[in-house]
Amino acid sequence: MEIKIENVIKQFPPDILALRNINITIPQGDFVYLVGPTGSGKTTLMRLITREVVPTKGRVLVGGTDLRKLGMTDIAYYRREIGVVFQDFRLLSHLTAYENLTFVQEAIGMPKDLIEERTNEILDKMGLWRRRFLYPEQLSGGEQQRLAIARATINCPSILLADEPTGNLDLQTAEAIMKILLSINAMGTTVVVATHNQYIVDEFRQRVISLRGGRVVRDERKGRFEINDDF
Amino acid sequence: MTTFSYVLRDAFRLVTRNITLSFLTLVTTVAVFFLMSCSILFVMNTKHIVAGIENNLVITAYVNKKGTAAEVVADKIGKLDCVDSVRIVTPDKALEILRARLGNQADVLTLLDDNPLPPSVEIKLKNASAVSVVARELLSMEEVEDIVYAGELAKRLEIISRFISKFSFGVLAIALAVGALVVFNTIRIGVYARREEIEIMLLIGATPGFVAFPFVLHGSIISALGALLAGASVFLSYDRVVGALKASMPFLNFMTDRAVVMDLWLLLVGGGLTVGWICSWLAVSKFVRQAMRPH
Repeated sequence: MEIKIENVIKQFPPDILALRNINITIPQGDFVYLVGPTGSGKTTLMRLITREVVPTKGRVLVGGTDLRKLGMTDIAYYRREIGVVFQDFRLLSHLTAYENLTFVQEAIGMPKDLIEERTNEILDKMGLWRRRFLYPEQLSGGEQQRLAIARATINCPSILLADEPTGNLDLQTAEAIMKILLSINAMGTTVVVATHNQYIVDEFRQRVISLRGGRVVRDERKGRFEINDDF
Repeated sequence: MTTFSYVLRDAFRLVTRNITLSFLTLVTTVAVFFLMSCSILFVMNTKHIVAGIENNLVITAYVNKKGTAAEVVADKIGKLDCVDSVRIVTPDKALEILRARLGNQADVLTLLDDNPLPPSVEIKLKNASAVSVVARELLSMEEVEDIVYAGELAKRLEIISRFISKFSFGVLAIALAVGALVVFNTIRIGVYARREEIEIMLLIGATPGFVAFPFVLHGSIISALGALLAGASVFLSYDRVVGALKASMPFLNFMTDRAVVMDLWLLLVGGGLTVGWICSWLAVSKFVRQAMRPH
């Protein structure tokens, strides 16, 4: 699904201008880094795509559908096409790794046999099979992040949004996470990663969209992290 | 099928996760529905007693003890078209009737030296509208010392019954509001305890109905179970209570039809289910709507 953000302005009350006249097109299967200092509008841009936020002006089209026109139930079905990896993982602490994955499939009414099959498959793929009965707090940071990615991708979304997926992880684990995201992208999923991590942007070069003060200041194919991106 | 089993499991999880709160809510709903059913039965019995009296359109004329006064009155009044039948009740017969009505308290009559009851004539009417005509006719006869008719008593009881109905309606409304508030708050606490889970569910594409349904089921189950238990206690104790009341007030005609109490029980369970459903839905839907509303 193509993501098209047209002339979007987003103002939060009372007068915080989070996004100023944003025009971005992300074709299906693209891999995009969103970079920029804190408060530059990266998270707001991602929340526009999940339809947690609606633009004050302009429109957001995903797969040709104007998100503003979706009703409550339509939003639910639309969100099944999107996987989200949160900066703080947001895993459910009272559920095991296995249950964290089955829960999201049950929530969209997936058949039981398919749930088991997919859960076992993705746990194996993410290297979490032997850790499946542990609770999130018993997992390492990297394992929690892999579990969060597994949860975001288990329903086979067309778009994967990851907010700081390598934040608080050591270099080796960050690399492993990036390889997983690239492999997901290689299967045709559009991946949008908001990050401050210069190393991964430069190491795994993809399209880079740099934001500053709510404006797009740079949009480069195979771009690099520039010093201005984080200041 | 997965959805259905998930909803059932989740509703059960909601009950067990907040077991103390669920138990307290259950106890409160039992108390509320018990109070409601007692209130309803009280009104129904009052109406039943009043209706019984109204249907018994009999005027009793107490006559003096001189010679054949009773026969004279019976003869005169029996000729009126609106009179259905006339029966003379001798003092001995009146004592016999009183003894039967008093039941096991009849021993008190042994304290009397002689029969103080006057002879009387019981006049059964064809319709209630004739009561005042016949009463006037009887009062104009010199043999008649006093008359008593159920219509007057029924009118007084009707006034009391109306007051009781209004009072019971107030009690019902308060009890219902308390029950509804308790269920609403229990569900709301459950919703807030799981808000992170709900937010994640909504973000990954669970429909608002899917998110809300376990909570609605939780509230409905507790409320219906409360009504069921309250109804059961009323159903099982009703006969005993009515028996005790009859023993102390044998002259009142209480409702003894168990089918009515059974119907009330079913009505309570249905009411409990509806109240639980509505309150839970209100509690959870407000949260879900807020969570779904874009910024």
